[in-house]
Amino acid sequence: MPPLQISRTRDLIEEAGPRPIRPVDLSPLTGTWVNFDTASTGIHHLEIADRNDRLIVRIWGTGRPDPHDWGEAVAEPFTDGVGLHAAVAFRAVYDLGFARVMIACYLNKRLLVVDAYTVFQDGSGRSPYFQRDHFYIP
Amino acid sequence: MDVSSVRLEDRLAGETPGGGQVDPSPMFGTWHNTDKKTGGIVRMVLAERNGVFTVHAWAAGSPDLYDWGEIAATAHAANVQSHEGMAFSAVYDFDFVETILAAYTKSGILVLDTFNTFKDGSGRSNYFTREFFHR
Repeated sequence: MPPLQISRTRDLIEEAGPRPIRPVDLSPLTGTWVNFDTASTGIHHLEIADRNDRLIVRIWGTGRPDPHDWGEAVAEPFTDGVGLHAAVAFRAVYDLGFARVMIACYLNKRLLVVDAYTVFQDGSGRSPYFQRDHFYIP
Repeated sequence: MDVSSVRLEDRLAGETPGGGQVDPSPMFGTWHNTDKKTGGIVRMVLAERNGVFTVHAWAAGSPDLYDWGEIAATAHAANVQSHEGMAFSAVYDFDFVETILAAYTKSGILVLDTFNTFKDGSGRSNYFTREFFHR
């Protein structure tokens, strides 16, 4: 077996021998997550589901009178290390036409931290911006 | 539905937009990991080269650090009307692994999340890191 390529020491895996590919346990992320901040101008709530071992996220943005449904996107789950299998974070990209939003999320205890990196593509002159919201499962 | 916004924060508050440009210079400098024993990114240089906002990262290795090289980054402001850079994103593609950097600054600290996806079939789990940097 050829030596593993690494880009930093964290890429190293300690156990020797073959490394069977194991599915990531998505259950820590799944559920309906509600924004702690009822006055948020960002994401209102999210639904995260395990659909046949794929992580599916659906986001609603704040709006008046009703939240904006962004629809579903396939998200990529991440663990806390190369030898671990419980999902602790995910990333998804929404291309909404007028804007592209990268959703970068992680769990902190049972708090879901959601960072949205938005780049406008519509020539509206709006600045790319970063926004953070915190979510819980009621 | 307003098709140019999907949340309230997307909307301009009646002011004239300024061209969508964000000044990344508030983030320029050499940022050092607060964890001297990190197995991740040890330091980063944020700068501008030929008008392009760039990030250059060095990661933990033995005996020498891994020099990841310099790549273009996208600067983000705190809202649609601000032009002051306070966050950025960038992508390193090393063929065997792709590392997405997603970072923001707050009170003089830079908080860096990385999302690492292996592409080499090595059986390693894709993983997330969160680290803190100071100038």
